[in-house]
Amino acid sequence: MIGMRPILLVEDNAADIELTMAALKRSNIANEIVVARDGVQALDYIFSEGAYADRDPEPPAVVLLDLKLPKVNGLEVLEKVKAHPEHRSIPIVMLTSSREETDVLQSYQSGVNSFVVKPVEFNAFFQAIRDLGMVWAVLNEPVPAKRP
Amino acid sequence: MSSAPQPSLDLCAQEPIRIPGGIQPHGALLFLDEVDFRVLQQSANAASILGGSLTEKGMPISEDERLTPLLGALRDARLQPSETLQKRVLLSDAWFQVTAHSTLQGLMLEFEPDSSLGGGELFYTRLRRFVDAAEEYDSILSLTEAAAREVRELTGFNRVMIYRFDADWTGTVIAEDGDGTLPSYLDLRFPATDIPAQARELYRLNRIRLIPSATYEPVPLIPAVSPKDGQPSDLSLAALRSVSPIHLEYMRNMGTGASMSISLIVEGRLWGLISCHNEAPLYVPPAGRNAAEFLGRIVSQQIASQERGRESVQRLGFKRLETELVAHLSRAPSFQQGLVERPRQWLGMTNADGAAVVTEGMVLTTGAVPDTSVIKQLADWLHAKELDGPFATDHLAAEWHGGATISAVASGILAVPISRIHPSFIIWFRPEVVRTVRWGGNPHKAVDDKSMRIHPRKSFETWKEQVKQRSEPWRLSEIHSAGDFRNAVVNFVLKRAEERAELTSELERSNKELESFSYSISHDLRAPFRHILGYAQLLGEEEGEQLKSISRHYLEGISNAALSAGQLVDDLLRFSQLGRASLNLSRIDMQKIAEEIRLSFEDGDQGRNFVWKIGTLPDGYGDAALVRQAFYNLADNAVKYTRDRDPAVIEISGEDAGEEMIYSVRDNGVGFDMAYSGKLFQVFQRLHHVEDYEGTGIGLALSKRIIDRHGGSITAEGQLDRGATFSFSLPKPRKVRVQ
Repeated sequence: MIGMRPILLVEDNAADIELTMAALKRSNIANEIVVARDGVQALDYIFSEGAYADRDPEPPAVVLLDLKLPKVNGLEVLEKVKAHPEHRSIPIVMLTSSREETDVLQSYQSGVNSFVVKPVEFNAFFQAIRDLGMVWAVLNEPVPAKRP
Repeated sequence: MSSAPQPSLDLCAQEPIRIPGGIQPHGALLFLDEVDFRVLQQSANAASILGGSLTEKGMPISEDERLTPLLGALRDARLQPSETLQKRVLLSDAWFQVTAHSTLQGLMLEFEPDSSLGGGELFYTRLRRFVDAAEEYDSILSLTEAAAREVRELTGFNRVMIYRFDADWTGTVIAEDGDGTLPSYLDLRFPATDIPAQARELYRLNRIRLIPSATYEPVPLIPAVSPKDGQPSDLSLAALRSVSPIHLEYMRNMGTGASMSISLIVEGRLWGLISCHNEAPLYVPPAGRNAAEFLGRIVSQQIASQERGRESVQRLGFKRLETELVAHLSRAPSFQQGLVERPRQWLGMTNADGAAVVTEGMVLTTGAVPDTSVIKQLADWLHAKELDGPFATDHLAAEWHGGATISAVASGILAVPISRIHPSFIIWFRPEVVRTVRWGGNPHKAVDDKSMRIHPRKSFETWKEQVKQRSEPWRLSEIHSAGDFRNAVVNFVLKRAEERAELTSELERSNKELESFSYSISHDLRAPFRHILGYAQLLGEEEGEQLKSISRHYLEGISNAALSAGQLVDDLLRFSQLGRASLNLSRIDMQKIAEEIRLSFEDGDQGRNFVWKIGTLPDGYGDAALVRQAFYNLADNAVKYTRDRDPAVIEISGEDAGEEMIYSVRDNGVGFDMAYSGKLFQVFQRLHHVEDYEGTGIGLALSKRIIDRHGGSITAEGQLDRGATFSFSLPKPRKVRVQ
């Protein structure tokens, strides 16, 4: 089943998690949503390590990655994934409050697939999340599963 | 700083005066082997003066019993080079003064008949009286006058002069005592070539020199070269050394039959000479010469202490001025300004009449100085010299091509560099002082053109010369004062530079802080507003049906407040980022942007009636996204302030104004009072109430900042209730190379 692979949401702020989940739910996106609360958890999930060593080896359909994260920040997560020969094809969307030019530049240099500044207005936020979910989790050609 | 005309050939300087090959006939000279006292060389008159048995060549004179005490003393003394041993010995019923020197060519012994038994005590009494009196003289002039008198009485010469060397080795007779037989040379100046460098060096080594007769026949040494090294014998240290034929010619031209010179050496330098002359030949016995030499040493020491005293008094004065000035500089806004504010100290520290400070093309002056443009040229010339310390001249015209035109105020300059990289100097000026110099004979006529051989001039008649384009010479203490002050200023300038560097790094640090502050605002302050809005919306959706209308109103209030707070944060951030973000410059299709802006407003015109008039807009050059933002804000303003107009007329136009493009947005809205036009572009300045016209008050400030960063300008014209026109300009790119 394409499109049913999980969406990995990497976000430390509880309010943002709740609102993003609500937005995804309203978009009728049925994918499982895995939440990682910091960069370390995110990397563990993506690389099937630590607490996620035994997870289903399906790669996530898309990673929604916040920039500011405890321990390992979003840019570092992005760089690690995009530098990895196997996982580099996982789509990563930076979801951030920041309009900082350097952040945007650095994200694109590290191979981010999309960069979205979270709008203040909820409707716009809702729209952005829905678009992201549709494009990356539903419509996009899925990444081939890890071969044995 | 040469002030004496030089003969084109300084041939005297080539005379072999250290190795004349012979001696004067009033004594005898032997070179002995240091070990066995064999005779290596002897003057041709040795046998006749000393008696044959003593000096037969090759015979060790140690076998001559008469010399046993002398040789014993020599053995005991173990003379080092430049040391002298003197002893009286009795040979064949005659007393001799023997002077011994150790040289590379053997022990050099000079024998001079000396019958002046007991004369030493007389001299001793006189000398003691002179030493006591010397303490009393309060000037070098009175001291040297007394010395001239004393030497004449000691020796009986017709004329005794005190001859002082200047920095350029010309000499001036500053004191004189005579019996009238010979003409007075007092105050006359003599060219440096009269006493050439190598002769001066011998005067330094050998403090007394007697030529009893200007017409003597030199006595040769036998053999002519030293058996030790095969070289001609070096007679530098010999009192009997034969003098150059040129010098004898000079003496005869001067009308003198005998001369004696006593060196005045001050701090290792040949300061001057006590120069004695007699019309007829005159022999001064060793005891008299010793007394005269001793007197020379006393006078030298007295001069040294007088000069040091005078120097330290002057230095103290200069130091006081320097301290006052430096103290003032530290309070002044700049050291240049500080100098100008204290002309008395600035000029006083070198006794100058004018001064200038040249830094980075800026010239500030005080007192009598040349034109600023000339001072700049002078600084460039000085800069090319790559000076480490002070530069001083009392004859600038001779050193710099531009000097002649400014000699009235700047015949003399004293300059110190205050930067290694830039032509930055402090320069002191002294005006021209026209002087008459009285030369002892015309110094310009020293060379015989036909033979190309130098002849001393025949006439010593006073020859007057007017010296122009000269200033008072700079004293050593003044030059030192300038050097000290330079160090103080350089330290001061360096300190200022360090302070500035510190300030810069402090600014950079606080800038960084500000950046990280705004970074954290963009993340942390923005998020809660987003959350409030999100939850309010969710609540509205979840409970939409059940909510009372007042509750719905409250919920809207929450949403609106959070939204405007969020927008404020966004706008502020955009504004603060503008100062830092780099511009992505390219050609901009302004026509297209204007159309897009119009469309964006038509989309949400909420039933308003607009008349858009868009002219032909030339392309601009800049950061497209930012320029669009600036342009949009102006249009947004026009739309906002025409809210109650029907129709709202908004005109967008553009024109090519040569150096720049100008774009305007005109509306028929509420306008504004021009009295407040200055406040329009300031952050948070509003001319209307928030209830009437929404917005964060940042839009126009943002536009202005964008246009400023492009090097353009933004203006507003308006009239209350009669509309407003906002215009901005974008400079064309410097090089016509547009992508």
